[in-house]
Amino acid sequence: MIEHIGPQLFNGLVLGAFYAIVALGLSLIMNLTGTINMAHGSFMTLAGYLAYTMVLRKVPFGWALILAPLIAVLVGIIVERTLVRPLYKREPFYSLLMTFGLSLMAEEAFRLIWGPNGVPFSPPPALAGAASLGFMQFPTFRIFIVVVLLIAIAALALFLTRTRFGLRLRAAVQDTEMIAALGTNTQVLYAVNFSLGIFLAGIAGVLAGGMLGLSPTSGNALLMPAFVTVIIGGMGSLFGSIVGGLLVGIAISMTTLFIPAASEVSMYVLMAIVLLVRPRGLFGEEGIFG
Amino acid sequence: MSRPVLNRRKFVTIAGAGSAAAVFGIPAYIPRVGEAADAIKIGLLEPYTGVYAGPAENETHGFEMAADAWNKRGGIMGRKIELVKEDEQNDPGVAAQKARKLVNQDKVAALCGTVSSGVSLSVAGVANTLGTLFMDSGGHSDDVTGKSCHWNVFRTCHSTWMETHATGYSLQKRFGKKWFFITPDYAYGHSLEAGFKDVLAHNGGSIVGNELTPLGTTDFSSYLTKIDAAKPDLVLVFVQGDDYTNCLKQMNQFGLLKKYPVGGPQVELEPLLGLGPEARQGYWGVEWYYKSEKTLGKNNKVAQEFVAESIKRYGRPPTARNAFGYITLDRLAHAMNDAKSVDPVKVARAIEGVHFTSIFAGSAYYRKEDHQLMWPMWVAKIRPNGTPGDKYDLFDVTDINAAEAVEQTIAQKEAVCKLGYPGA
Repeated sequence: MIEHIGPQLFNGLVLGAFYAIVALGLSLIMNLTGTINMAHGSFMTLAGYLAYTMVLRKVPFGWALILAPLIAVLVGIIVERTLVRPLYKREPFYSLLMTFGLSLMAEEAFRLIWGPNGVPFSPPPALAGAASLGFMQFPTFRIFIVVVLLIAIAALALFLTRTRFGLRLRAAVQDTEMIAALGTNTQVLYAVNFSLGIFLAGIAGVLAGGMLGLSPTSGNALLMPAFVTVIIGGMGSLFGSIVGGLLVGIAISMTTLFIPAASEVSMYVLMAIVLLVRPRGLFGEEGIFG
Repeated sequence: MSRPVLNRRKFVTIAGAGSAAAVFGIPAYIPRVGEAADAIKIGLLEPYTGVYAGPAENETHGFEMAADAWNKRGGIMGRKIELVKEDEQNDPGVAAQKARKLVNQDKVAALCGTVSSGVSLSVAGVANTLGTLFMDSGGHSDDVTGKSCHWNVFRTCHSTWMETHATGYSLQKRFGKKWFFITPDYAYGHSLEAGFKDVLAHNGGSIVGNELTPLGTTDFSSYLTKIDAAKPDLVLVFVQGDDYTNCLKQMNQFGLLKKYPVGGPQVELEPLLGLGPEARQGYWGVEWYYKSEKTLGKNNKVAQEFVAESIKRYGRPPTARNAFGYITLDRLAHAMNDAKSVDPVKVARAIEGVHFTSIFAGSAYYRKEDHQLMWPMWVAKIRPNGTPGDKYDLFDVTDINAAEAVEQTIAQKEAVCKLGYPGA
């Protein structure tokens, strides 16, 4: 049993990185506009299917990894503009219901376009093998995933802290009305912010398609752990989403090792403990949950 | 920011819309007299939305082919067959409701369909209460023709017992006796596990690992890392659908498919097509196959026509699911025709025990004692890339197992199953 702990920890980190990047997208959108985007998983699946279609048409995997999320962002902008924006002024409940409905429609649309069964989407041959990590053989594609996700997270951090636009975005999270009064076009802020979230989801979607499977429901399977991640990390905190994601990933992989039947439940137990001890989440702002 | 409130006008709009829907909904409950009054209606319950949408569609195609074939010949006793389809959403509760609706409202003569065993059992129960026939085309749990059997319920696809014993015997001969299980942690998985354990109990051998994975597991890495330590002769994969695709894909990424033989009680064409060729491997149970003399029989005209017509209509070869649908409705129609009646008891008596030939090799019959269709169960080796010119041709069928050799005996079944015919 002991010899499995090292590899399991690593598996947990890969899984955690996924949850973290999905949760980051959710947090971005939630923080600025209060929208709980239930359709986030659908955007992941969409990007996955787009990348699959591109690779079928001989587009190199690397390009598909960038282009597919960008097309998903285009769809995201249209959705934000036409469906989500009119609901910003209402309670979060409305946009939650709307995006939930959207995710159901998207699932059936994927079924109509790409068929009800999963499709074969494999990583390129260069990433298909296994590499030695010293203590174990580990799939090259998983190592690649960790690297890509780390780059994406670092780029997001730089964007938010080092660019003028990023600073405006963070300021708007704190006080949208003041930012608007100071002459910033908040509608553009909303759109860019939504796009950023979708772009992160898109990258995760393409990578998940290659590592796990790609079917009409595959994105939604990653959505629930991502919501749990946001709550554990603390609403309002992007850093919290990263830490929360890794914690959830490790919790799931460790319970799988010792009590497999409890693997699904372990993240909820973790969430319950965090909420009992620290209701606002690990890095959350005070006042959201008390 | 304006606070949203429920004001009077909004309330009136919502209430108005609601009551309008209620009013206009009512005519649906008036039986549509005159409309194809002499057709025999058959209710088809399939999970058209959700994870089993693929198999549901294929079973439906099989039902449609059988209905059209009968209608072209003039129908049953001169009456056309009309299929009434309902989406049971892979939910036992919804399925029960829809079954009642089909019987009470649409006045169907029999119910058919289902993919997931939980739903099959639910429909079987409702059909029994209503005294209507239910032909389970695609739910595999032993209980349907075992401890939950009913006089009005027949099952076309194989039982899990048949699947596990057919593949268990075949695989043990090839690979040896130390087995590692990857089991989905719900009723279906546990009954597969029990079946394979029974094979080991008969022939000797041991289980060196049994990983219970929750339904819908996306990441199998935690379970897979344990395989290397256990050093099995064979890895048996019981998970189905998307879980199957995920599991095999990840076994390949971890390099396990190169080290250990892999197999399982059943694989359908649908999830295999969702896997890249590099992860298509092993020996698997097969319930029917469109391109092998072993499954179709030599010069079986009916089977050849069925395959050719399916490809023409739907643009791809039929799967085992298409076959389940076709066989199910074809037999039901034969029985109604033979009984010259749609009376459930008479039709049931006309189905059971009758030997027939169909779109598979040899003859078969729905066993009188438990209403299980006794037809062969095959085992195939996978061809990762199909054959030249046919990307669907993924199975090289190697073994045929006679139903009687792999299903529980009549004595075993009689100990748990009481059909309970009315008045019997």
